[in-house]
Amino acid sequence: MIARVLNFFFVGLAALSCLALYRVSENTRVANMELTSINHQIAQEKSTMNVMQAEWQRVANPGRIQKLAQAYLGMNDAPVMELSSFETLPRRGENPMDANPVQNASVTMPATANTNLHLVVARN
Amino acid sequence: MAAKPPTTIQRRIVVAAGICVLAFTFVGIRLVDLALLKGRQTGPASVAENAAVVRADIVDRNGRLLARDLPVFDLYAQPADFWDKTGAARGLARVAGVSEARLARAFAGKHRYVLVAKQITPVTRDNVMRLGLPGLEFQPSTKRFYPEGDARQVIGMTQAVSGGRGIAGIEKGLNAQLAAGKPAQLSLDMRIQYALLHSLEATQAKYNAKAAGGIVLNVNTGEILAMASLQDPKRAGYDPTRNIMAANDYELGSVFKVLAFALALQDHTITFDTMFPVGPGFKIGKFTIHDAERMPAVMAAKDILAESSNAGTAQIALRSGPERQKQWLQNLGLLQATHTEIPERARPLYPTNWGQVETATIGFGHGISVTPLAFVSAVAAVVNGGRRIQPTFLKQDGDRRGAQILSPETSLKMRELLRYVVTNGTGKNADVPGYDVGGKTGSAEKNDHGRYIAHKLLTSFCAVFPVDNPRYLVFVMLDEPHGESAVMALAGHTAAPLAGDVIAHIAPMLEMPKTAAAVPIPGKGNS
Repeated sequence: MIARVLNFFFVGLAALSCLALYRVSENTRVANMELTSINHQIAQEKSTMNVMQAEWQRVANPGRIQKLAQAYLGMNDAPVMELSSFETLPRRGENPMDANPVQNASVTMPATANTNLHLVVARN
Repeated sequence: MAAKPPTTIQRRIVVAAGICVLAFTFVGIRLVDLALLKGRQTGPASVAENAAVVRADIVDRNGRLLARDLPVFDLYAQPADFWDKTGAARGLARVAGVSEARLARAFAGKHRYVLVAKQITPVTRDNVMRLGLPGLEFQPSTKRFYPEGDARQVIGMTQAVSGGRGIAGIEKGLNAQLAAGKPAQLSLDMRIQYALLHSLEATQAKYNAKAAGGIVLNVNTGEILAMASLQDPKRAGYDPTRNIMAANDYELGSVFKVLAFALALQDHTITFDTMFPVGPGFKIGKFTIHDAERMPAVMAAKDILAESSNAGTAQIALRSGPERQKQWLQNLGLLQATHTEIPERARPLYPTNWGQVETATIGFGHGISVTPLAFVSAVAAVVNGGRRIQPTFLKQDGDRRGAQILSPETSLKMRELLRYVVTNGTGKNADVPGYDVGGKTGSAEKNDHGRYIAHKLLTSFCAVFPVDNPRYLVFVMLDEPHGESAVMALAGHTAAPLAGDVIAHIAPMLEMPKTAAAVPIPGKGNS
């Protein structure tokens, strides 16, 4: 009697194990397919990013930017003497214009299509 | 009561149960092995194995992309599948940008496969697919893409075929590394490269020069931040891919005097104020060395360099003598080819019989031909405290100065002299307010079949800044510039302002603070 019970028990255990293994195997297969698909997508995205990075590098070429800036923004090739450093900027609380208060300031836009801004600061 | 021995069936059940337990134990161990141990490695490893090794990127010192393999496709067609071959030829020609007549002829022929276009981009492939034609095949491959052409002579190129090896420049010099998928980060700074190229182009056009070139070098690390070569496309022998700064030898002329002075100061054969007779020229053997411009009868050594007197420099070089001069130039690496990561190089040309006359002429830069790259490496050693540097196109960290070949004191004196040339001599047009520029002009008459041609000049300027503690060297060169007059074609009016222009543009990019401390300059009448 015990032997028969054990027989049924182990046969049942074997059947359950088979089902469990099949389930795990199937889940693994599906997960593997998803992984392959995702890896493929990642590879494609990387490839697209590579192309876009290269394209960005081409369009952001300093020569191209300079031509566009000169053509559409009216900017010039500024010599270094026109540049300044942070040290020369007034600190918070300091009077930026020596002891003379700024009386008025205005921004004038030229009537032409040129988009240059001319900042005019009048002082005493 | 003795235990009943197990029956045959019971024994079989035990054996079967044992086998089952063993089998499941094995399965369990394997599951743990796959799930916890190997399983974690399987995913990425398998992906990496599947990914083909592509030629690696080349980037500049700031990570800016200079070269990359991009996916392209070779498009093939099977004409037998087309129901309208003429229409297919027209559509494919329009989208792929190839000859319609060629395709029509090929489709009408007997070939089963026809190459429609090579190396089409993914965008073009999508457009081709939108045509809805049957019988098309896309063969994936790669194409080397160079987003910017500003440093093409340094970066070089690969063979045009997919996966081709490097055939010039960095692509050739670092071919093994790049082909193995290891990227290369260069010392080039494309902002500096553009600024140099832009100034060179403008000056070359202004003076209608046959060629122009420039180098920006870090004198402490040997890193080459920019190197440009320009040639006039209208001239014979035009080769836009040639790196004239590394592969061409030049008799550089007066800019070479820096080396003669460094040696003389090192050996204490002169001081700043040692006087030399200059005015009538200097006679050596059957030759008389004259100056291009009228000079005073007697000049101090510092003024000989500042005014670039050949007659004076010849006498200074002769104080060193042939053996010492040759040894000095050997120490500076000027008597052998300069090896860097690029394959383009040239052996220097110098006399086999190095006598008195040769010593005198080499002192002022004639009779010896070196590459500009070799020359700037030598000058860098003169101004960086006297230590040799190895020029490199790869990004480096920290101080890479090598063996001491000149004393720090002599190096300091040379920097003072170079500043004196800019404040009081021929290099005035190279000065940039806020940056203490030191440098030397060179206006060499070109040698044409053994004769020096007075109106064919090679002008150059070698600048260092800031001169009190140099970090960068800027060398510019113009081949046959044409000024309004002969004098206006000299280096002081062509190459010097060009060097100043380059420094004015690149100094802020290099985050160089404007110098506040005054540099001691030997004024007239003191040393």
